[in-house]
Amino acid sequence: MRIEKAILVFWKDWREIRRNWQIILPIVIVPLMISVVLPILLTVISGLAVTEGDSFSEFLPLIENLPNNIQMQFAGFTDQQVMIYVMAVYFFAPFFLIIPLMTSSVIASDSFAGEKERRTIEALLATPISDGELFFGKMLVSFIPSMLITVVSFMVYTIVFDVVAISLFNGMLLLPNLDWILMIFGLAPTIALASIGLTIIISAKVKGFREAQQISVILLIPILSLVFGQVTGAIIFGPIIILTLIGLFVVLDFVVFRIGLMLFKREEILTKLA
Amino acid sequence: MTPIIKANELTKTFGSYIAVNHLTFEVREGEVLGLLGPNGAGKTTTIRMLACLISPSEGSAIVAGNKIGENPLVVRQTVGILTETPSLYERLTALENMDFFAKAYNLLDDHKRSERIKELLIFFSLWERRNDKVVTFSKGMKQKLAIARALVHKPPILLLDEPTAGLDPESSKEVRDLMKTLSQQEKYTILLCTHHLKDAEKLCNRVMIINKGKSVITGTLDELRNKINGQIIIQVALKKINSKMVEAAKKVDGVKRVDVDKPASMLKILVNDAELTTPLIVKNIVDSKGLVLSVNVLRPSLEEVYLKLIKEDSK
Repeated sequence: MRIEKAILVFWKDWREIRRNWQIILPIVIVPLMISVVLPILLTVISGLAVTEGDSFSEFLPLIENLPNNIQMQFAGFTDQQVMIYVMAVYFFAPFFLIIPLMTSSVIASDSFAGEKERRTIEALLATPISDGELFFGKMLVSFIPSMLITVVSFMVYTIVFDVVAISLFNGMLLLPNLDWILMIFGLAPTIALASIGLTIIISAKVKGFREAQQISVILLIPILSLVFGQVTGAIIFGPIIILTLIGLFVVLDFVVFRIGLMLFKREEILTKLA
Repeated sequence: MTPIIKANELTKTFGSYIAVNHLTFEVREGEVLGLLGPNGAGKTTTIRMLACLISPSEGSAIVAGNKIGENPLVVRQTVGILTETPSLYERLTALENMDFFAKAYNLLDDHKRSERIKELLIFFSLWERRNDKVVTFSKGMKQKLAIARALVHKPPILLLDEPTAGLDPESSKEVRDLMKTLSQQEKYTILLCTHHLKDAEKLCNRVMIINKGKSVITGTLDELRNKINGQIIIQVALKKINSKMVEAAKKVDGVKRVDVDKPASMLKILVNDAELTTPLIVKNIVDSKGLVLSVNVLRPSLEEVYLKLIKEDSK
C-alpha cells in the first residue's frame, strides 16, 4: 500500500469537509456541549443538590455502587465535592468514547455514500489508486478530525473542570489522571477505528449518506452500554480494564480493515449509484 | 495501424440481464471509434469494463498491451476517462480538482504537474477561473474541466462517455471542436460513447452501432451507408434534358435507376457507389452533348443508417 495515496485521498476529502457546514457543525457542537456545558452544569447542579439535601440523597445509591477502593478516594470530601469528583472523574469518562464515534460517524457515513450521492465516485474509482489506499484514505479522513476533536474536547473539559473545581477542592486538580489518559489516547482511537471501518463498509454498500448514518448509529449501542455500565457501577474503567479493551479493539481494528478490503467492490459501488 | 484496444467476446451480465453480449472490436492507435446505441445498449458498461471499473462476466480485452483484470492499476493509468457525469468535486476549485487527479494519476513532480495543469486549463479556456469553486461553473465549463482531468496524465487512450450530453448547442459545439483538436492534432486514441449522431458524424473515423449489448455493425460511415443499401443519389443539374442524356446515364455500370425532374431540369440517378460512378455518368452526359450545371451527391445520413439498423436489429 502506498501511504501517500491514502494521504492524498485524506487531503482531498478534508478540503471538501471543512467547506461543508452540514458536516462541520454537528461534529463541533456535540463535543463542545460535553466538554464545556456539562462541567459548568454539573457544578451548578451539585451546589443546588447539596443545599436541597433530597436531591443529593437520590445521587447516593450511584456512589454506593462504586467499588470500595474508589469510595476510599473521596473519604473526607463534602457532599458537593463527592458529587463533582465522581461525575468528573468517573461518570463522564465514557462520554468521551462517544465523541470520536459521533464525529467520525458523520464523516465516515459520507465517505462513499456521499460521493455516490454527489456523483463524484466514478472518476475516483477510475484512478489508479488501489482499494486498500482508498479505504485507508477514507478511514484517515474520519479518524484524524474525530481524534483531534476528542483530544481538544478532553483538554477543554479538563481545564474547565479544574478551573471550576480548584476553589472547591482547595487547589487540588481533578484531571487528568492515568485512566483518562489511557482512555483518550488508547481506547478512544482504537474504538474509533473499528467504528470508522464498519461505517465505511456500510457507506460503500448503501445508496446515500442518510442511510449510512442511520445504520451506523447502531454501532453506538455497545459504547452506550459501557456508559451505563460505568454509571451503574457494573464496569469501572480502571487501567487494567482499559488496557484489556485497547488490546481487544486493536485486534478488532485489523479484522475490520481486512473485512472492509474483502467487501470493497468497485463494481458494487457503481451499481448502487443514487 | 496496430490496435490499442482489442476486445474479444466481452460480456457483462447483471443477474439475468445481459448488458453487453459477446462484443468483439478493435480500436486502432490514433483513431476515433464511436460507440453508438440507444439508452441501455451497453455503451457505458463497455467503457467501464475497459477502464477496469467493473469486470467482464465473460471474454476479455487488452488495453494498451495490458489485459483488463490482470493489473487494473496499470490499465487505469493508461486510460483517461470522462464519465457520464463530470464527477468533479464541487466544493474544490478547478485547480484543486486537477491537482488531486494529477497526483492520483502519479504526476508526482510538482513543477511538471503544475505545468501540465496550466497547459490544460489554458487549452480549455479555464485558466482565468482556476481558483473558483467548481460549483460556480456552468455545465459546459464543468464538462471541459472533466475532459481536462481525463487528459491530465497524458493517457494514450481516452474513453469519453456522452461528452456533449446535456449541453446547450454552443457548449456542445465547443466541446466537439476541442475533441476534434485532440484527435487530429494531439493524436489521441478515442473511444467515444454517444447517441448524438452529429458528434459521431463529425469526429469518428469508424463507428460501431450496438443494440441490447450486441454489435449490430462496425465500419466507416461510408461502409455503413453502403451496407444498408443506402440510397445514394447523384443529382445532375443540366441546362436542357433530352432522352439521349438519360440513356447515357443509364449505360454506366452501377446505375440502378434514373429519374427525370423536368421542372428542375435535373437527373436524379440512384447508384451503389458514388465515387466509382459519378465521373463516368458526368462523362457520358457530356459526350451526349449535355451541358452540366452542377453535380451533387446525396448520401444517407448517419441518422438514417442508425435508425434503419437499430430497427432491423430490434425486429
